[in-house]
Amino acid sequence: MNKEEIIEALKTIIEPYSEDAAALAQIDENTDFIKDLKINSANLVDIVLDVEEKFNIEIDNDSMAKMLTVKATAEIIAQKSKANAG
Amino acid sequence: MLGNDIVDLDLAKIQSNWRRKNYLDKIFTSKEQSLIASANKPDEMVWRLWSMKESAYKIHNRKTGIRDFAPKRLSCTVYVDDYGEVDINGYIYFTRSNVQASFIHTIAAPVYDNLEKIKVAIYELPDHPVDYKRTNPGCVSHHGQYLALVY
Repeated sequence: MNKEEIIEALKTIIEPYSEDAAALAQIDENTDFIKDLKINSANLVDIVLDVEEKFNIEIDNDSMAKMLTVKATAEIIAQKSKANAG
Repeated sequence: MLGNDIVDLDLAKIQSNWRRKNYLDKIFTSKEQSLIASANKPDEMVWRLWSMKESAYKIHNRKTGIRDFAPKRLSCTVYVDDYGEVDINGYIYFTRSNVQASFIHTIAAPVYDNLEKIKVAIYELPDHPVDYKRTNPGCVSHHGQYLALVY
């Protein structure tokens, strides 16, 4: 998966956790889950679990700590998927 | 500095399924997980611990400028009478939780004696004051029906 495909897949994961339709429509790399999408912090855990299931990767605590934006999350997914493949 | 966090328990029930596989393990230390497992009301313990972590994080984040999502590094100890403390990398924050049937509200302070000095205002929809920011609250927390301010 390239970066664009990862971000597209990520959008589908994120959608159910935000009620801000306008912000969802404008998701890009710099979107912040809490500041921009008003996602409840307890739901960030669901996003992490959904990402693990969808991409078949395991997200350690240090990686999870960075998962506050689309960009950081996409980077972690790319990095972990690559490690899996290798 | 002050911290506070409110959890609307009715909303939490529909918004978060903490019984989901691996959910608790992502956010709670093993000590906290045993507290939840042995609690008479596990839902209450989950959201009490969560609000302790959130309220302490809000102070720690302002103090250090560090913004991250590492709930497991925030280690809670629960004492009697709703008191508790949260250890974030060696920084200790003291907490007191107000556990009600429909919400849990936790206040946090870096000095234990300051807990008693905190003034709390909790508003339920539709009675949220529109101009609350003018009152200069020390920390603001919103969830579901509730707006909680501390001074």
